[in-house]
Amino acid sequence: MKLEDIKVCILRIEGTNCETESYQAFERLGAKPEMVHLKQLTGQDVRESEKRSITDYQILMIPGGFSSGDYVRAGAIFAARMKTKLAAPMEEFIREGRAVLGVCNGFQVLVEMGFLPGIDGIMSPVPQAVLSTNDSSRFECRPTLLKYENNYNCIFTQKIKSGQVLLIPSAHAEGKLLFPHDRAEQIYRQLEDNDQIVFRYVDPNGEYAGYPWNPNGSPHNIAGICNPSGNVMGMMPHPERVFHRYTHPDWTRGFGSEIGDGRAIFESVLDHISKKF
Amino acid sequence: MALEGLYKKIEAPFPLSEVLLSKADDEQLKLIAAESGTGLSLDEMKMLVAYFKDLGRDPTEVELQAIGQAWSEHCCYKSSKQILREFVFGIDSPRVIDRGDAGVMHFDTENVYSLRIESHNHPSAVEPYGGAATGIGGIVRDVLCMGCQPVALIDPLFFGRLDTPNAELPKGTKHPTYLFGGVVSGIRDYGNRIGVPTISGSVVFDDSYTGNCLVNVGCIGIARKEHLYKNRVGGIGDNLVLVGGRTGRDGIHGVTFASAVLTGESETESRGAVQLGDPITKEPVIHSVLEVGRRKLITGMKDLGGGGLSCVCGELAFAAGFGVEVQLDRVPLKEDGLLPWEIWVSESQERMMLAVTDENLEEVLHIFKFNDVEANVVGRVIPEPLARVFFKGIKVLEMDLKFLTGGPEYCRPREIRKPEYGTPEKAPARDVSHTDALLELLASENICSRDWVIHQYDHEVRGCTVLKPLQGALGHACHGDASVLKPVEESWQGLAVCTATNPWVMAIDPYRGGKAVIDEMCRNLVAVGARPDAFSNCLNFGNPEKPERLGEFHEAVRGMGEAAAKLDIPTPSGNVSFYNESETGSVMPTAVVLGTGIIPDVRKSITTDLKSDGVIYLVGRTGPEMGGSAYHRLTGASSPKVPDTDLEVLRDAMKALLIAMDEGLVSSCHDISDGGLAVAIAEMCIGGRKGAELDLESLGPLPEEAALFSESCSRWLVEVPRDSAERFEAILGPAATLIGAALGDELLITRGEEILVSASLTELENAWRGTLWRLMGGSE
Repeated sequence: MKLEDIKVCILRIEGTNCETESYQAFERLGAKPEMVHLKQLTGQDVRESEKRSITDYQILMIPGGFSSGDYVRAGAIFAARMKTKLAAPMEEFIREGRAVLGVCNGFQVLVEMGFLPGIDGIMSPVPQAVLSTNDSSRFECRPTLLKYENNYNCIFTQKIKSGQVLLIPSAHAEGKLLFPHDRAEQIYRQLEDNDQIVFRYVDPNGEYAGYPWNPNGSPHNIAGICNPSGNVMGMMPHPERVFHRYTHPDWTRGFGSEIGDGRAIFESVLDHISKKF
Repeated sequence: MALEGLYKKIEAPFPLSEVLLSKADDEQLKLIAAESGTGLSLDEMKMLVAYFKDLGRDPTEVELQAIGQAWSEHCCYKSSKQILREFVFGIDSPRVIDRGDAGVMHFDTENVYSLRIESHNHPSAVEPYGGAATGIGGIVRDVLCMGCQPVALIDPLFFGRLDTPNAELPKGTKHPTYLFGGVVSGIRDYGNRIGVPTISGSVVFDDSYTGNCLVNVGCIGIARKEHLYKNRVGGIGDNLVLVGGRTGRDGIHGVTFASAVLTGESETESRGAVQLGDPITKEPVIHSVLEVGRRKLITGMKDLGGGGLSCVCGELAFAAGFGVEVQLDRVPLKEDGLLPWEIWVSESQERMMLAVTDENLEEVLHIFKFNDVEANVVGRVIPEPLARVFFKGIKVLEMDLKFLTGGPEYCRPREIRKPEYGTPEKAPARDVSHTDALLELLASENICSRDWVIHQYDHEVRGCTVLKPLQGALGHACHGDASVLKPVEESWQGLAVCTATNPWVMAIDPYRGGKAVIDEMCRNLVAVGARPDAFSNCLNFGNPEKPERLGEFHEAVRGMGEAAAKLDIPTPSGNVSFYNESETGSVMPTAVVLGTGIIPDVRKSITTDLKSDGVIYLVGRTGPEMGGSAYHRLTGASSPKVPDTDLEVLRDAMKALLIAMDEGLVSSCHDISDGGLAVAIAEMCIGGRKGAELDLESLGPLPEEAALFSESCSRWLVEVPRDSAERFEAILGPAATLIGAALGDELLITRGEEILVSASLTELENAWRGTLWRLMGGSE
């Protein structure tokens, strides 16, 4: 399908707050994003003209923020509300090979819903991971460097070179990806075997490093993962914040291209969808 | 009992009294003012007596409370208005679009931006987390009610020294580390949750703030011109729609609390004056308000802040020449049993009042319901300029709005002290080498790295932050002078944002201090390549009823006004916070400005970190003006001689620098402020991971410490690529002095043959980085 026909659902509830820049990232590339409140998908309190179906879209993005305040575990309230009405349509959406992207709070929502890591089917009945409180116990807004470690299973990263290091900033208080203690190593091996690990935190020399380059203490420096079929991706850092070079933290020190490091993620998924559908 | 018989019960299905002012003597009037918590003075009570005598009746307690709110210093600026009018209100510019709850400025042909800064000092001193959070909530509403999308937060903070021994704390005062930690957490949890980046601010530590910390909060908004609104109703018959949070007993008498000095009992007596914030009610309120604004479904709006419904209803209607009728039963409450006066003056958070015609009402209510935000019609605009308020069918208030919202205005006595230029300078109390002095300054609380704070605030949400608060090489970024936003998707034009303050200079000489604050703001904005465009100010002073305090205020405002007028920088909004005193005395006179500048193309923004092996110029003249300097505080010296600003020199230097920057001749630039030239170059080295060699011989016959550490105004350090040096010199002329170059991995400052400072990059960075982490806990 044509780029301009690709419809992107930017899903929000109260407390979602990265929807504008997420919308702009898709719009700048020529796709058709739309900001959609969860109630428009569930049908509550809305007029007929405001109702939407998830099947209207090829891409679903859950942006960052503090959905419903995140006063319980991050993403848990948003996920609970989605699950009651949208679990089945979402499963179908993913089965059809459409794309789901969760950034920051969106990643937390996808994990809480059981779509990531998704090692026992499209949607696990109970979450298989959690994005836990940062080791520093603080909110961390800082530049982070991500090494691309996927072998092209993930549809969001086809335009990124293997081993490339991207500057994509982080801003979260709960970003440490943990698995159930008794099966942590086993799940980690599965993720590696399934080519589900997409990004890891590295330092300016490209080496795996601790805090602050790994801002949350995530084991194995994991910053982003995808599901086994590669069409659901979650990541803590914010690619929509570095669409242009001019929002990189050190752009005044010289650069090769005006293109920001986050742009490739949006380009990759649009390219994939336009070829697939 | 002295007040017996002065409260007469009115027949009503709820407790309601008439206050028999007509029968009270002076002592009783004072007692009534105190007991009701209104804080009105005897003279003000007498104005009330006269007003109600003409009406042939006595006020209800609701009416008494309404006056108490409207006439508080916080709401009506009764002590400051006359001085502000004399020096700053007159600075006009065609770039100013509106002066409402926030000031509105021209941005480009299609867009405007708005700005405001205000204080939330007393609530934060009692409850730092909630006080700071609701401060953010309030300033965001000020920008929102102009029709603007909030796009940036700015927080200048002032506390006692973090290493203050507990034994030295006055009774009832909380430790500075507790206050600092709580305030930063409050700003973080509120600002991050509503998705508005915190891009600028400052933290100052000094003993004078131990008993009364200062928490100033600023906000910037952006809107298309056609989406701007006035803080007034459209016409008769408009519905008043109250949206957002519910009304409760939190935040009762907030404005009167803000208009009195803090005491050891403030904690127990005034906890109820601190409001409770809820960012997750606010975030959808912002969404919904902007949507009804963009779709032209409202005629005007205003936020509920100090004085609650009482102030907002009166001011919204009166600004349009009309009146208002309000049904208090329709106000949704957090709990049952609130008395009508409590509903009328509560300052519960997250509330806005919209004026909506009958025709658009249904659509407006739908939009709020869609976003899960409560919205209720609570009143209606009437032709007579009156406020008329009903509760359960009983009229509890009827007052003339001109009287109610007018408020008294005072020309209070002031004592203007001449700075004591005759007094001799006091020499440093200890001998310290220049290198050690530099390292100690870098490590001092007031100069050291703010990264402990900055990384807790989301400064990049919305994806528009082009220059961030920390600038430079990854992992080594150092303080910038201003942050830059690219607020409009279709345009490369940028908005630079900074803060400026120098209480130490202002404490010695408020007039020069006032000029110096404007100077610093200009330096910060120009350093990133922006033309200073406007400023908002928050003036934190002591008790204005003391002539000496009001004298300081007068002189500070005079200095600021003179500088701003000469430089053509209007101030479309501002805030005065008096009574910043506790049992240990007044805070230093603290004028804070939030400055904004326009940069035609954000791609030309300049940061502080050294970039290449360029040559380094000093722009501006250095004098032996060490009064109030960080060096004097460090060494225990003192001097009455504070830096003065030559406004023409400043104006010309700014103009020339901006031309050079626009031509691409400048690779880095840093203003010279706290700690002088030596600290400025050290910061440029740290951020750039690059050393420098400077020779200060050409600065003339100055004492060595003045050459290194003087804080003379209107100065910048500028790095220029070698092949641009000739052109740069041609533009700057004698204002620029070549003093050295960026090279190596060491900072070496000499004067002729003599070495003044020699330190490695690692020494500089280690000194600068660790202090707040050490004092506040946590590790990098």
